[in-house]
Amino acid sequence: QPSRTLGTTPRVHHNPSATTHSSPSSSTSSVNETEISHFSALASSWWDPHGPSRPLHLMNPLRHDFIRACLSSSSSRDSTSPTTPTGLRYLDVGCGGGIFAESAARLPTTHSVTAIDPSPTILAVARAHAKRDPFLLLPHNSSSSSSSSSSSSNNNNSNSHAGEPRLTYLNATIETLALPARPADRFDVVSVFEVVEHVDYPAAFLDRVGEFVRPGGWLVLSTIARTWTSWLTTKLVAEDLLGVVPRGTHDWDKYINEGELRAYFEGKGGLWGPPRVMGVVYVPGLGWKEVRGSEKVGNYFFGVQRV
Amino acid sequence: MDAVIRTRSRAAYICRSCTRRFRFQRQLRRTYASAAAQPDIYDVVCVGGGPAGLSLLTALRANPVTAHLRVALVEAQDLAKVRSWKLPPDRFSNRCSSLTPSSALFLDQIGAWRHLERDRVQAYHEMQVWDGVTGARIEFDWAPGAAPPAGTTIAYMNENLNLTSGLLKRLEELGGVSVFDNARVERITYGEETDEMDLREWPVVHLAGGKQLSARLLVGADGANSPVRSFAGIEARGWDYNRHGVVATLEMEGDGWGGEGTKIAYQRFLPTGPVAMLPLPGNYSTLVWSTTPSNASLLKSLSARDFVAMVNAAFRLSPTDLQYMHTQESGQAEEYSWRLEHTPFDSRAVPQTVIGVQDGTVASFPLKLRHADTYIAERVALVGDAAHTIHPLAGQGLNQGQGDVQSLVKTIEDAVSHGKDIGVTMSLEPYVAERYAANHVLLGVCDKLHKLYSVGSGPLVPLRSVGLAAVNALGPLKAFLMNQAAGNGIKVF
Repeated sequence: QPSRTLGTTPRVHHNPSATTHSSPSSSTSSVNETEISHFSALASSWWDPHGPSRPLHLMNPLRHDFIRACLSSSSSRDSTSPTTPTGLRYLDVGCGGGIFAESAARLPTTHSVTAIDPSPTILAVARAHAKRDPFLLLPHNSSSSSSSSSSSSNNNNSNSHAGEPRLTYLNATIETLALPARPADRFDVVSVFEVVEHVDYPAAFLDRVGEFVRPGGWLVLSTIARTWTSWLTTKLVAEDLLGVVPRGTHDWDKYINEGELRAYFEGKGGLWGPPRVMGVVYVPGLGWKEVRGSEKVGNYFFGVQRV
Repeated sequence: MDAVIRTRSRAAYICRSCTRRFRFQRQLRRTYASAAAQPDIYDVVCVGGGPAGLSLLTALRANPVTAHLRVALVEAQDLAKVRSWKLPPDRFSNRCSSLTPSSALFLDQIGAWRHLERDRVQAYHEMQVWDGVTGARIEFDWAPGAAPPAGTTIAYMNENLNLTSGLLKRLEELGGVSVFDNARVERITYGEETDEMDLREWPVVHLAGGKQLSARLLVGADGANSPVRSFAGIEARGWDYNRHGVVATLEMEGDGWGGEGTKIAYQRFLPTGPVAMLPLPGNYSTLVWSTTPSNASLLKSLSARDFVAMVNAAFRLSPTDLQYMHTQESGQAEEYSWRLEHTPFDSRAVPQTVIGVQDGTVASFPLKLRHADTYIAERVALVGDAAHTIHPLAGQGLNQGQGDVQSLVKTIEDAVSHGKDIGVTMSLEPYVAERYAANHVLLGVCDKLHKLYSVGSGPLVPLRSVGLAAVNALGPLKAFLMNQAAGNGIKVF
């Protein structure tokens, strides 16, 4: 497929009901109303393990494996922050029902997760589900799943983060979210999973998202390549034939190729290190498997470290 | 939780250190105030302190990935008695199990093996199994040079109390388990929804005395009549064998035909059920005799002398002789010595003569087959006898439980390292996938063996003897079966 630069020109999309959008510098440049309403309709089935979101549930462990691989390959140029084997702060953009946000909040190496989504309907589902696990609502310096008296904070982060709940949901877009003034207060990991193929102006979106990554932190995203194969698998087979993905979820024209992402990040004047890429393939019945080279044709993870 | 959030929003008006102190006190007070009303929340609550439950908790505590989980043990009996269990070297408990090398390896990996009284554990190196009707025989012994790198040990005979006592010692060494023993489970309910938490899908274990434990994952290691299984609404299907297993600790005339270095296990298939003699250290053996309920109650009523004669007869005389001796109320000792003179047999192909039975060790338990429909439900997992009950003829029951535990711990470890909620069904599915089919096959095989050898006459008898002789003659097949039984063969299921 012809390569495109992630410019500011809107991509063609086949939603006749779409309203015209304001310029990319507006505060809602990443938010497409039709996309939001499509996902809001899925809100109630988000956490049904045998429902339409099952592929996302099955993919979630691979997200953690990929992030672990990124973190362990962290460049030694990361001198602005001590190695934090524990106490990572995550920002999950477009968190949906919270599949990734909850799982990140549970890891022993996590300090806190801030998760944002523009849809209040889905966030209500996310918050209600998070209540089912008392551990998620506790601040970091509590032990395990019991409520206990607070002990002195043993993480390396500044005191302003002590006592943050492990998981916080905010009804916001990346544009409306307040950017922490000091770079060191920004996030160790910013995750953007299965989101960038749903925004109208991906370059502007990624410009803004990238600002939230602290120096030495990682921006990790996942999306789908725009090829005949991915059209076949994610549209024809997944949506129309097998029905494992709700119809209308994906707009093939908005898929982004790995090369296009590389070009975008390389064009940022040395702000980002060389990317890590992992292609994954979904086989109904078996789940997701890493397949080298499949990033050229299907789903893939893409991670870059901010210098 | 609400208190913490409200305080933070007032932080702008109060100095930081005051806010911290204020928050600490509010949280502390809130914890104390609600401790009575709110159930104690655990990541894993294991009901059942037998070999499966104790192994599970030991493995979770010993594994660095899962060591931070908050775990609790609930056991109806007094664990202090298990912990302090000690018998002299010439007395053995009548409840023994055969531990496969695979189970022994697992126990070693979690650090429990070294806590067993090792001189009470008896490795055995040979098995003699034969048909009581035709005499067709299969000898499980390693041909010279054919032994696997793991050694010639087929399995280890071990008293169950030695195992549970050793596990408890290791658990104490590791620490970090809230133990509720002498604790009866009154009922299990679901939690409630409050402003802060929604525990409606969390099982709450109510102990007699008022204590309540909320479980992210409730593990039923509570035996064949598992209350946890009933709570989860899981059916266990199967049948009773209409047989009882009679156990006893026996004193032998010597330490075995192979001496201390080559201990031999014997099993003879009688039409009423298999009789097995498993070696213990020194001149001792443990008996497991599966027979009809009426035979079992007769055996339990006999004097020591007559009982010993019956055991010796079971390995030497014909099924007809035995049938007659089961009709006698007493006097089997004389009957045995008379009939023995007229029965040709190879004394080295059967166990050495039993000369005594240890006081108070003759007991019996009913035999049945059960398999739960599944091993998991939302926030519930079953291990060991709670999940499956098997015929003892292959010595696999306890080992299946250990295999379950190994698999469940692996599943929990994977879930924890990927941030999953360990109790939800989706996180537990790999456990069922790994264990269900394997257990089902083993249950089935032992069931069919029992049925095959229950036949006393007819065409099946010579057929099964030909089959047995054939397996005996086929070296590679026999080696494969021995490796499977030891748990160190290739994974077939």
